Amino acid sequence: MSLLLKNSYSLIKNAIVSTSLRTLSTTNQLRLKEIREHKEGSTVVLEGVFVPSPRTELLVRAENVKESPHICPNTCYMCALDLDVKHTDVLILSQFVRSDGCMLPRRITNLCPRQQKKIGKLVTMAQKAGLMINLTPSYCKKDPKKRYGFKKFNTYFDEKTIFMKRIPKPTDRFER
Amino acid sequence: MSAAKRVQQWATFARTWHIFDCKWQDPYQSAEVIKKYLLGMHKPIYHPMNDCGDVVVCINSREIALRGNDWRQRAYFHHTGYPGGATWTLAWEVHNKDPTMIIKKAVYKAMRGNLQRRHTMQRLFIYPGEEIPEDIVQNVTNQIRQLRLVPTRLDHIDEEEVKKFPKVMDYPTDYVLK
Repeated sequence: MSLLLKNSYSLIKNAIVSTSLRTLSTTNQLRLKEIREHKEGSTVVLEGVFVPSPRTELLVRAENVKESPHICPNTCYMCALDLDVKHTDVLILSQFVRSDGCMLPRRITNLCPRQQKKIGKLVTMAQKAGLMINLTPSYCKKDPKKRYGFKKFNTYFDEKTIFMKRIPKPTDRFER
Repeated sequence: MSAAKRVQQWATFARTWHIFDCKWQDPYQSAEVIKKYLLGMHKPIYHPMNDCGDVVVCINSREIALRGNDWRQRAYFHHTGYPGGATWTLAWEVHNKDPTMIIKKAVYKAMRGNLQRRHTMQRLFIYPGEEIPEDIVQNVTNQIRQLRLVPTRLDHIDEEEVKKFPKVMDYPTDYVLK
């Protein structure tokens, strides 16, 4: 009996909610892929549009920057740029991070495994030092000095402590 | 002795007051620098038997930065002298109790353990914040350069500047921004 009641309840709920729920969104500004809706006479046209990324104009690539680029075709863009990134370079590190401060996966960052691991560790260092406090989950207290115990004091990190020996080199790929 | 020479004589043997901002500085690395000023090792007239050390005023000692996981792994040892009187206090607990203690102990440890050490320590003033007594500020004539750059937080940078900063990573075309 109770099962029947439950089923009937969910049926009614579905009937009410499904009319107002839409899985397609039309007005999200941030999407690189956007769905737009417009009317042509009596028909409503829905179309998915690719929006240009806000970063393409500001993009820095080694082949545009360096005088004589002799870049191996297999290297990723960070290896080719050969930047000395520190954990305090938050303007660079924040590009690899989601809005909740989580490192983006490799299929999105398009880095080589070595760089992905290195930048992931640098992001962790910057987060622990409280340098990217606006890119944290919503439940985070937005002031590093209000953290608990030893975490409320300033901490810096040495980039030499990243164990690059354990991270595979691009040449190691075929040696397994 | 001419007037110019006399002034040179005063300037040579006078105690100079230096100020050091400990904000985001490693206490153990900056102790090596502070020690040299306290003992007068930066002067050409330095000799261990020669009392030519300067005065150093450390400010913002509450804002010091330790490396990696030092706050919870570095322990400070104390023994009361009685059996079972040994205590180990972690660095963050010491800093909670007295924000000047870590830098004081670091400088004390950086110097050689001779009879002069405790007298040299009298010339070191440490303040947890930026407020210093007026009579001490008046004496200060020199600033010691910081060893590490004070890092800038991302939320303290202008949003416009963050947007205009050259980008390295670009999203794939089918990525949905979060």
